[in-house]
Amino acid sequence: MSFDEVVLIIVAGLSVFGLGRVLIGPTVWDRMIGFTLFSSKVIVMAVLIGMIIDRSFMVDVGLIYGVLGFIGTIMISRFIERRGDI
Amino acid sequence: MAQIVEWIANIIIVIGLIFMTLGVFGVYRFKDFFSRILVSAKVDTVGFITIMLGLMMKHGFDFFTGKLLLVLALYVITNPIATHAITRSAHISGYRIKKER
Repeated sequence: MSFDEVVLIIVAGLSVFGLGRVLIGPTVWDRMIGFTLFSSKVIVMAVLIGMIIDRSFMVDVGLIYGVLGFIGTIMISRFIERRGDI
Repeated sequence: MAQIVEWIANIIIVIGLIFMTLGVFGVYRFKDFFSRILVSAKVDTVGFITIMLGLMMKHGFDFFTGKLLLVLALYVITNPIATHAITRSAHISGYRIKKER
């Protein structure tokens, strides 16, 4: 159990708590916070996995996930703000 | 020398983890949406930046670290915009803080 794997497990645990907010969140915007929290943890986990297996393609996975998560968040918040007609 | 750099990088990563834990804890602690998103946006981003800097230090100077810098730059730019968009949609849709009587 090297240091990187311990950090990976801790970040995985934290991301589950981020998803907890998605479940509990009274308003839909709380759920979106939970999602952005979760996606930032996923990026860190992807990079950590890339460090552990020493392959650099995992960093690209984190990058693409970050971009798609950002676009998703922007579109969802626009959808809610305009009540359906984007 | 490499041992010392490795040790410093590990400490930086631990600090980043502490910030991330505070970010997640902050999302549960606050009762209102706006204070919740303030904490999660700021503290979580600081945690992310610190962990990434620790990883970059740990991995030395090569192509991998360049990609890490790209991911870091992307996240630092997009996260504030995303949280702003969420808060804006909340504010425009009429979500207001209930005054505690």
